[in-house]
Amino acid sequence: MRFILDIARSPGGTFALVAVALVCLAALAAPLVAPHAPNAIAPVDRLLGPSLEHLFGTDHLGRDLLSRLVYGSRVALGIAFSVISISLTAGVALGVTAALSPRAVDLLIVGLFDVVTSFPSIVLALALVAVFGPGLGNVVLMVSIVFIPHFGRVARAQTLALRNSTFIEAEVVLGAERWRIILHHVIPNIIGPIFVLACMDIPVVITIEAGLSFLGLGVRPPLASWGNLLNDGYTYLDQSIWPALSSGLALMVATLGFSLLGETLRDTLDPKLRKAL
Amino acid sequence: MKFEPTRRQVLIGGASLATVVAFGGSHPAFAASDRTRIIVRVEKDLSNLDPANRSGPIDLNVIWSVQQGLISFKPGSTEWELDAAEELTQVSDTEIAFRLRPGLKFTDGYGDLTAEDVKFSFERFLKPDAEGKPVTYAKDWSELDRVEVTGPLEGRIVLKNPSPALFTIALADGSGRIISKKAFEALGKDIATKLIGSGPYVLKEWKPREQFVLAINPDYKGAIKPHFQEIVGKPIGEQKTAEIAFRSGEIDFTAIDPESGKALAELPDASVTQVPAIDYIWFGPNIEKAPFDDIRVRQALRYAVDVDAILQGAYSGIYPRANALLAPGLLGYWKDAPVHERNLDEARRLLEEAGHGGGFKTKLTIEATARYEAIAQIIQANLAEVGIEIEIEALESAAYWALGENDASKDLELSLIKYNGKFDPGFQTQWFTSEQVGQWNWQRWKNPDFDALHAKGAVTTDKAEREKIYVEAQKLLDESAAFIWITHNLNAFASRKWLKPGVLPNGNNWLYTAFSEATA
Repeated sequence: MRFILDIARSPGGTFALVAVALVCLAALAAPLVAPHAPNAIAPVDRLLGPSLEHLFGTDHLGRDLLSRLVYGSRVALGIAFSVISISLTAGVALGVTAALSPRAVDLLIVGLFDVVTSFPSIVLALALVAVFGPGLGNVVLMVSIVFIPHFGRVARAQTLALRNSTFIEAEVVLGAERWRIILHHVIPNIIGPIFVLACMDIPVVITIEAGLSFLGLGVRPPLASWGNLLNDGYTYLDQSIWPALSSGLALMVATLGFSLLGETLRDTLDPKLRKAL
Repeated sequence: MKFEPTRRQVLIGGASLATVVAFGGSHPAFAASDRTRIIVRVEKDLSNLDPANRSGPIDLNVIWSVQQGLISFKPGSTEWELDAAEELTQVSDTEIAFRLRPGLKFTDGYGDLTAEDVKFSFERFLKPDAEGKPVTYAKDWSELDRVEVTGPLEGRIVLKNPSPALFTIALADGSGRIISKKAFEALGKDIATKLIGSGPYVLKEWKPREQFVLAINPDYKGAIKPHFQEIVGKPIGEQKTAEIAFRSGEIDFTAIDPESGKALAELPDASVTQVPAIDYIWFGPNIEKAPFDDIRVRQALRYAVDVDAILQGAYSGIYPRANALLAPGLLGYWKDAPVHERNLDEARRLLEEAGHGGGFKTKLTIEATARYEAIAQIIQANLAEVGIEIEIEALESAAYWALGENDASKDLELSLIKYNGKFDPGFQTQWFTSEQVGQWNWQRWKNPDFDALHAKGAVTTDKAEREKIYVEAQKLLDESAAFIWITHNLNAFASRKWLKPGVLPNGNNWLYTAFSEATA
């Protein structure tokens, strides 16, 4: 509770908490929150403006925009958390392995990280999805690959700093097994900065997924994704601004919320900055 | 009183004049006063200017204005009129005699247009090209036996079989353009990029991806009187970009989305016209693939899909519904074609009867455009109501049209297709014949009776008899339940109020020679 109060102390933190809570609530309680079925088409009601029946209006097939945005938050957060979980786990495993392995293995893993990070994230994700095909599963897998080095590098650097610490040396001298040292001493000590990084990467993953879906390479219809909604909104912009406006707004709130949360989290966890706060 | 301008007044006056010249000249109101030249937007750049290998209507529209045929289409009509021919007589079902106008000359010093050029232009469709392949439009002249030259300006077209479609499909169309034999021999492959003709315009300039310019041919001796001195074509792919260019006064004429018509018509200097098209857009299964080989499943699809909802959702409710292959106005239009209404109970009953009461999964292949994606999503929602789960496969244009090559269509399950129409019904029916399986008959529907009707229609000269044949052919398509017709399309155009466009009834083809100033 104290931790949350610390985050909420700054205006940015308060906004971040509200925005993230809103998006998470929408995603978790989508069937309860959405006023209509997200995929129910009603062409007669196409491109309506906001009304009591449709608070955000309707899209080009007469589907309720608010309901699709709510269900879109499930896709956005679902993909973001899946990608972050996969890439965090794989990245930390590889990073720690690199730091604690002989130089040749370290060089090989770092080399792989360099290859992946030499391409801009969105370009690499685009290329991989274009090759392996669109769809929810492929998007998660391909974007995860792109993000593994983010976590791998931090995990490696943190582990290298810890490797020669006296408490680790003591464990080695006492004959502790390698996996025990990693699980009980290394990971708990490096996970703080990695969580901050994860929080700051969530909006990036949301944006990449939306970008892929906007280009028709992400989530396939009829599943609602903010990128799909934005693309439809762009196509029919001259007939109604509501689809583009509402999906753009949802993307903005979510990405801003998670970015600010990450920053506030970093400041809160940093003892020097915390003192200043 | 004597006016002696100060140095400052001279500078201000000069600057004002320069401003008027610089900005006023590009303003639509000023541009509109230049009525000897118009700028039209084309959807893509010119590609192949050889009439036998042209790539589509953009090329053809330019070819038409530069090269003559014996006959050409009348502006705004599917009827034809004499062009390079002074006289054209149908001597018998298989023989057409012609006499050319005297004094017609090819541009760039390639000499007079003679009957030898006519013979060369038409008979080259029967021969393979330099690489041993038939020319792209070889089928247009498939009934041609030979062209006999009986004098410098006279000759006879001799056919293997009667071919009533020849006038609209070949003679008046692109495949009937007369090219210079000398130019063809001199230019070789460059015939695809250098346009030599005897028509009202010359292709003065072609800067790829930038613009082409048609200018009056000073040596033209024919009967057509083009209005504008110059016609500039600017390739703009995106419809929305074109509409913005029209709003800004950069172009005078463009095809638009019919949905944008209302907004553009409100512009003070714009006029919007709509032309019902003769294309055919439909949705249907590959009937060689289970479960679509069962007619009950196909009938269930037809009962489950809500065509009116598609027209409302994907076409803003302003496109007309199609109930058969041939569009209104065409020979063979089936006025009493059944309108298949949605009936979910019947669809479920048929699926149950066919052993698919629990539904099934399938794939719908479409060309990746916003409109087709919208249609696909409506079909997806409609079929979900009877338990059919659809995955939409949206292919980029090149990949989608490559389905017509190397039997690639054999793996299709459901597809959404749009083909362009022509003025003769035989052009439309040919794609549904058995011999087109593996090429453009993507649904792999085969019916010997249909094939026989198509063949009979191609050689029947009696109009009433042909009409009956094509209606019968469409009944067979309907009985198969393999084709769910959506619309024949609708073309819309925005032009300046002072401009009268020369659009043919299919909307895709324009006669630049018929573009003129609108009379009040």
